Amino acid sequence: MAVTEVNSDQFRAMVRVANHRMSKNADFVNSLNVFPVPDGDTGTNMSLTIESGAQAVGSNNSTKIGDLTKSFSKGMLMGARGNSGVISSQLFRGFYKATEKYEVLTAQQLADAFQNGVNAAYKAVMKPVEGTILTVAREGAQAGENRASETDDAVEIMKAVVEGAKKALASTPDLLPVLKQVGVVDSGGQGLLFIYEGFLEGLSGEKSSDSYQPDSVEMDEMVNAAHHQSVQGQLATADIKNGYCTEIMVDLQADVPDKQPFDLDKFREHLSNLGDSLLAVSDGEVAKVHVHTEHPGAVFNYGAQFGQLGKIKIDDMRIQHESIIDKDQSDEKPVDFAVIAVCSGNGIRKLFTSLGVNRIISGGQTMNPSTQDIIDAIKKSGAKRAILLPNNGNIVMAAKQAAEVSSIPVGIVPSKTISQGMTAMLSFNPDATVEENVTNMTDELSSVKSGEVTKAIRDSEINGVSIKKNDYLGIIDGDISIDRSDLVDAAAAMVDEMLDEDSEIITVMYGRDTNKRTAKKVVKKLQAEHDDLEFEIHDGGQPVYYFLISVE
Amino acid sequence: MAVKIKTKYGLIDISNNVIATVVGASATANYGIVGMASKNALRDGVYDILNRENYKRGVVVRSKENEIVVDVYIIVGYGLKISEVSRNVQSSVKYNLQQQLGIHTKAVNVIVHGVKILDE
Repeated sequence: MAVTEVNSDQFRAMVRVANHRMSKNADFVNSLNVFPVPDGDTGTNMSLTIESGAQAVGSNNSTKIGDLTKSFSKGMLMGARGNSGVISSQLFRGFYKATEKYEVLTAQQLADAFQNGVNAAYKAVMKPVEGTILTVAREGAQAGENRASETDDAVEIMKAVVEGAKKALASTPDLLPVLKQVGVVDSGGQGLLFIYEGFLEGLSGEKSSDSYQPDSVEMDEMVNAAHHQSVQGQLATADIKNGYCTEIMVDLQADVPDKQPFDLDKFREHLSNLGDSLLAVSDGEVAKVHVHTEHPGAVFNYGAQFGQLGKIKIDDMRIQHESIIDKDQSDEKPVDFAVIAVCSGNGIRKLFTSLGVNRIISGGQTMNPSTQDIIDAIKKSGAKRAILLPNNGNIVMAAKQAAEVSSIPVGIVPSKTISQGMTAMLSFNPDATVEENVTNMTDELSSVKSGEVTKAIRDSEINGVSIKKNDYLGIIDGDISIDRSDLVDAAAAMVDEMLDEDSEIITVMYGRDTNKRTAKKVVKKLQAEHDDLEFEIHDGGQPVYYFLISVE
Repeated sequence: MAVKIKTKYGLIDISNNVIATVVGASATANYGIVGMASKNALRDGVYDILNRENYKRGVVVRSKENEIVVDVYIIVGYGLKISEVSRNVQSSVKYNLQQQLGIHTKAVNVIVHGVKILDE
């Protein structure tokens, strides 16, 4: 159906669909983000920007198109986020300036508005970088202008803009070297294309597929960009929860025993529970999956239900990650007296750092660092003296060995738990000798009681406590003392056992397998019975233990 | 003062001039920046004629023990979200210093020195 004049209702529909389409595809755009800073937020930024514009249009009841474009422009300006968001807001500011007087838009006026948007956008930059959203906007507008001389149908103009933008997007890697290196198209340009496609759909009323389905080539682009983003140190400060970059291809047409019918949405949903950075595409014959997971085997098993597995690839990202962390840490200036702690979990790392620990060695229950790891950490600290906090009974031995062979004096404070390590840290004095510090800090260890909550992996009986598989266990200073089927009960019962008349402060660090809400439930339960105690809750982010609780 | 990086082969000394150039180049590549404000109007007036690509203009670098703080004096186009443009400058300056020179930046201070009305 031809549209010779775009009225306010149609413009509203354009904005609404564009906003919807952008937000639906924000993750895909995020995944392409490598320039100017590879922080993976282009899609989110653009989506928030256009959403702010769409809200402004939604709350304006005018039937004059100039009023609506004004609201759209103003909303986007107010909500602009990130580089591409700022550029989009300027594009539509120019769009508004060209349309402010009009009640409705003819095809020619629509094309001119896009052109004016581009003109305005280019004014606000000293050195326009080609191969970005600006290129895509310019080529799109140019195609719209060209088409305007041939037709008075606004839908045709919008189609031409979309086609022009699409072509320009495909050429972005040729214009911007970093895109070619990584092997992606420009993320901002891709975002703008989604917005334009949304406009076209809103204007023509033709419903196209809701969420964009990347093809196999684009899948490769997304994988490239995902790795580029993490290589660039964006993940460097965070612990990698899912350590294996796993890729599989499933031949959906091959016969396998107990073959399950394939549904991409369900497939994706299931895999998203297994890890992150999930990318999954399918053309009906072959499904291609990329996911960062801790359990590559589970991905294979799941995939194999739908067909024959082809091309399997697993990379250990922790190795890469460690080198990034080491690099980051080596940027720090060396200290005279270093404190080195072993721990895992993002939040716990931060807590230790804030207490004055200079270096962290990743490790703990189920992943003990080797003597060599500890020696390396001592060397890298560049310090003249060091104190080690093993924070786990199993690591004390390795720490002692490392101290013996180290070329600098190293003292070991035999902390067996994270809580002990933190308490010990409070009495660290950089001006005292290694021996004095070891004595003072070791004295502190007994002032804290440490509790840990974890899950039983098999039926057993220890210390007279009968343990059922999958029950939650409370471990007090290394002894299993509590077995409950409910996590909150287990934690609360454990703290109850730990309390005595001198107890004042309870610190709860919740792990990565639980959340703040559950931690609050535990605290609430305890507060009901003990109103004289102080509680602190921290995001520990540790693996294995749901809660680490210290009582002082 | 300058930033010194020690490697096993010897010393790398990066002068503040170089840092300022990288900062200027990455700041001006940001969308919304229509100019760098001058710290010294008279001198830069001459620079303007002599050398258009004087990226150091409007950048102050202070370094201390391999930690640097940079001040960036910018002029932003009117009609843009200035806070967001400034944030973009901070993020790209920090990123480019790390990428190109391997320098950790302690702070990137953006001073919005002026707003330029773009003819529309």
